[in-house]
Amino acid sequence: MKILVVVPEFLPLDQIKAAVSTISSDLDVRNDTNFERSDAEILIVTTFTPVNAELLKKMPRLRFVQVASIGYDNVDLNAMKGNGIIVSNIPTASADSVAEHALSMVLSLLKDQRFLDSEIRSGRWPKITRSTDLMGKTFGIVGMGSIGRALASRLLPFKTAIIYYDIKRMSEAEEEEYGATYVDLNRLLSDADIVSVHVPLTETTRHLFNKSKFDLMKDGSIFINTSRGEVVVEKDLIEAIKKKGLRAGLDVFETEPPDPKSELLKLDNTILSPHIAGVTIESQMRFFKETIANVMRYMQGYEPNFRVA
Amino acid sequence: MKGYKIFGNVLRDLKLSPVLGNPGTTELPMLRDISNYVLTLHDGIAVGMADGIALWTRKPVLVNLHTDLGLGNAMAFLMTAARNHSPLIVTAGQQDQRHLAYEPLLSGNLTEMADNFAKYRTEVRKPDDIAYEIRKAYQIAEEPPRSPVFLSFPMDVMEAEGSYVYEDVARSTHNVMDEDDVIAVANAINDAKNPAVIFGSEIDEFDAFSEAMAFAEKLGCPVYSEPLGNRSSYPSDDPHYAGELYPAAALVDLDLMQYDLLLFIGSDLTLYPYTTDLILPGKRKIVIGLNNRRMIGETYRANPKIFLARILDLVHRKCNFRRSRDYMKLTDAVRDKKKMGQKYVSYRISKYFSDFTMVDEAISVSETLRHYFGYRPNGYFTARSGQIGWALPASLGIAMYNPKVVTVVGDGSLMYSIQALWTAKHYGIPLKLIVLENGGYNILRSYAMSYFPEISDAEYLRPEMDIESIVSSYGIDVRIADAELKELEWLRSGSDQKALIVKMDRSIPSMF
Repeated sequence: MKILVVVPEFLPLDQIKAAVSTISSDLDVRNDTNFERSDAEILIVTTFTPVNAELLKKMPRLRFVQVASIGYDNVDLNAMKGNGIIVSNIPTASADSVAEHALSMVLSLLKDQRFLDSEIRSGRWPKITRSTDLMGKTFGIVGMGSIGRALASRLLPFKTAIIYYDIKRMSEAEEEEYGATYVDLNRLLSDADIVSVHVPLTETTRHLFNKSKFDLMKDGSIFINTSRGEVVVEKDLIEAIKKKGLRAGLDVFETEPPDPKSELLKLDNTILSPHIAGVTIESQMRFFKETIANVMRYMQGYEPNFRVA
Repeated sequence: MKGYKIFGNVLRDLKLSPVLGNPGTTELPMLRDISNYVLTLHDGIAVGMADGIALWTRKPVLVNLHTDLGLGNAMAFLMTAARNHSPLIVTAGQQDQRHLAYEPLLSGNLTEMADNFAKYRTEVRKPDDIAYEIRKAYQIAEEPPRSPVFLSFPMDVMEAEGSYVYEDVARSTHNVMDEDDVIAVANAINDAKNPAVIFGSEIDEFDAFSEAMAFAEKLGCPVYSEPLGNRSSYPSDDPHYAGELYPAAALVDLDLMQYDLLLFIGSDLTLYPYTTDLILPGKRKIVIGLNNRRMIGETYRANPKIFLARILDLVHRKCNFRRSRDYMKLTDAVRDKKKMGQKYVSYRISKYFSDFTMVDEAISVSETLRHYFGYRPNGYFTARSGQIGWALPASLGIAMYNPKVVTVVGDGSLMYSIQALWTAKHYGIPLKLIVLENGGYNILRSYAMSYFPEISDAEYLRPEMDIESIVSSYGIDVRIADAELKELEWLRSGSDQKALIVKMDRSIPSMF
């Protein structure tokens, strides 16, 4: 069974080739889709490679797309469904890493670490701090998928209240497992001290967080986005940060990388990272293992896990 | 007509039934015309059951004790009934007057003994006085502040001849209110900048929940509940509800320091640990109700229900308080699950028994139980005195009228009135008993931890016993709860006698 693996340029191609060669001898690993035709039946991509109707024309024998990521908005699901192509993602491998990343941003903002660090580096020794506790805060999670749940389970020991919103409410037993109370999105935004977003990018979620939503949030509250930049209207967020004193932790941006002149980069009460929340040494290994396992499952005639189409 | 016949007639006419008691020789003469007698295996349990009935029905209940010995046995329960404002007509037999001078066995100065709890007490000397004294006792017990009264009946009075004429008693609705008082209080509220309201047990006692909520909505001010009330004071899920005051003067001061006028309506300030000498010094305090005798501020005597209804149109909106939603309840409960902590257990009990009345005497867990279970009309009862051993009999009294009662006690509390299980089984009274077993007197250990840490682990504060065997020996169906507390579903079903033992976290709760 022929397999094509497309990895981003920044990943070490040779090492990946060596590692995946155990799956199949009939396997091609490359950095792009600039080819005329591929007879691969299986395509393994990351979220950086668009998989659309145009690519399908070049891959007439394609039957299974494995996205080695949680997000799969790079895949045109309609085009895949129209051609009977199965699509799976890996929803769990980086969930813990993203949850930790979101939590680290929250703690960094609550504890005012950017300011304290810069003060010491500037030769000062501040005696007053705006640092506050996570304990006792109301933490709102938007999107209770694998990342949202991983985050909720980490929040329990911090003695926060947990509220969540998702298009699909969890079962009562699940809510009790995570100690999370279901509320609608507007209620979540108005009641939470911290809002962390973990939704996929869809037409429903695109620009979901705009001025009307930021207006609902408490002054000085914290907004974390480690999902997709396009779920936020960035200029509205910048305005909310300036006018409402919102603090933001952003791993993703409307345009990546953001324009160096973006006002977002000039604000003090933000902490930023380059769409890397899910990327840790450990998570890459988990992605790798789970991707291989799922492809093997398909090759052996079993239904692949984590189907999204 | 013989005295005992007069006794039976007047009890029937006043619908004083059942009679609860544990008889001795001196009571045998007066029981010969009593048909609905409920036997308890300890005098105190009779009073506890009567207290429960009175709290539930809001009507006088007659209890029969065995001379000075039974009266002595029941004294703690009588103190609780007095503090709970329960209108009990407590009766006891007295030795035959004809040889009282010789101080025979089973004789004593009963009225003097009753002085500590009874607002009226007398010894009936002749049969003609029996009906009159019971009718008088009925009305005095009913007069707010409701409280027990005591009547002693010498044996020979029940044997002598007398006459009985039917007469009714006033069954007052206690519509006490002065129009000038209402105007004075309304003016004080309208002049205040930032008032707060403290509602108490009288709101439930006088069925004033809807009036209290309308008043809070009109004022828009935060509403607190009195510390250590013996019944519900305000719906806990109402957005104006700001929480329960802690029973320590310094903490009450702290909670209420931001307000310029404090309205205590049907409430009291029951304190537990000493913190400071003065309560709310310098604050303007207005107290409205029928039970409060502390008079810590400007005290007006009025039925809270009609007072609140009347003042509603006279006051202006003062604040826009709405408390934020408490999302911490669920998170706290889940966090507490692993150690079978108070919050998890309280959450589960509250969930399974949300449509039940709770009678609570799990002292070290009570605050958490109230937090999760919440207040609602006739929904929650406890002893205002701090007594243990009260809840089990009181809940049986309530269960005689309302089978949907859940009783939550600690293992220490249970052993104070364990014989009540016999009465439950014998008379088929529904019992849903939850024993929170923590192997000690945790409220004492908590107090000790704060003030005398060297004895917080003392052996005498940690009595261990085989609760399962003890309870099952009375023929009660007993189970031990698993980690999910699923047996609560079993417990709530049916109307027979069941007990669930919950092996609780044994860490000592913080006093403050």
